[in-house]
Amino acid sequence: MMIPVRCFTCGNVVGEHWDEFKSRAREGDEDPAAVLDELGVERHCCRRMMVAHKDLVDVVAPYQ
Amino acid sequence: MAEDFEVEFIEREDRKARFLVRGMTPAVANGIRRAMVADVPTFSVDTVRFVENSSVMFDEMIGLRLGLVPLTTPLDDFEEGDVVTLALDVEGPATAYSGDIESSDELVQPAELNVPIIELKEGQRLQLEADAVLGSGKAHAKHQGGVAVGYRHLHRVEVVGDANEFEEQEPNILRGVIEEAAAEHAADESAEDGALVPTSEFDNDLTKRYPGKDVEVHDVPGAFVFHVETDGSFTVEELVRRAVESISDRAAELEEKVAI
Amino acid sequence: MSYKCSRCKRDVELDEYGGVRCPYCGHRVLLKERAPTVKEVPVE
Repeated sequence: MMIPVRCFTCGNVVGEHWDEFKSRAREGDEDPAAVLDELGVERHCCRRMMVAHKDLVDVVAPYQ
Repeated sequence: MAEDFEVEFIEREDRKARFLVRGMTPAVANGIRRAMVADVPTFSVDTVRFVENSSVMFDEMIGLRLGLVPLTTPLDDFEEGDVVTLALDVEGPATAYSGDIESSDELVQPAELNVPIIELKEGQRLQLEADAVLGSGKAHAKHQGGVAVGYRHLHRVEVVGDANEFEEQEPNILRGVIEEAAAEHAADESAEDGALVPTSEFDNDLTKRYPGKDVEVHDVPGAFVFHVETDGSFTVEELVRRAVESISDRAAELEEKVAI
Repeated sequence: MSYKCSRCKRDVELDEYGGVRCPYCGHRVLLKERAPTVKEVPVE
């Protein structure tokens, strides 16, 4: 649905980086690994939160 | 405890630090780690009153997300159990961010302003009031101030001989911080005996640090390298200080209670 | 109990004898409206 506020495993706040990650690595053509390094998302538990996420608000919105 | 600890910072930022402590037993090291995780309280949303929620998420889901947003916690001004009221009112089409949360107390604010709470479409609205309570990590993980708190032994790497020159050397991975003990064999020219080197400087691979050498790794007794991060509620320094204080307070209390 | 007809979007009051049906358009899909009161939710 929405990006989780924190990493499930370590509790680090990852939600704050989502907008930038999305615009640069998902919609843009930058390398996701380089973007995450730059954002300071270091551990692989936090990185998977961003890499494996899919926004679903647009998908469920019509069924309100 | 008669001796003082010797503390040396390896890396020091507001929210992230690595430091070496000497003269500590594993029991005390773990006690401090646990105190950082479970005993130092932070503000976190505990009850939410929804006036209007026409978003695509249920009230409970939004409440959970609000609970995870870190709030700045000046521990000098509050006591455990204190309540601060927050409010959020966003009308779509827009995204409600943690920065939109308004607080009744200027000392307690969202530590991150850019965390998306919920995306609102045309005609949707989120209007709520929330109570943030100062609680400790014992009660709920959302109250934990420390994130990824841990420690390792300080390693001492000794060069014990030359590697077989006709064999290809396999990577020798070591993570943490080493205390330089064989500077004359190190690949880095500026190496000095006794210096503290994070293993990330040589790709966590000892064969890159001491090429062509056989090495042995020993733990330095009583020396621990702590890695501490906070979620933004307060600085690392504040977190460690409060954790140590909570242990010493409890030790003093125990001493008083068992005194004859 | 206040409901809303999903076809004609009008408010519908249901009693125990009328069955589940919109009295205006006969549609059988009714949506339950959110109560207008403030809802308190504990965060866990």
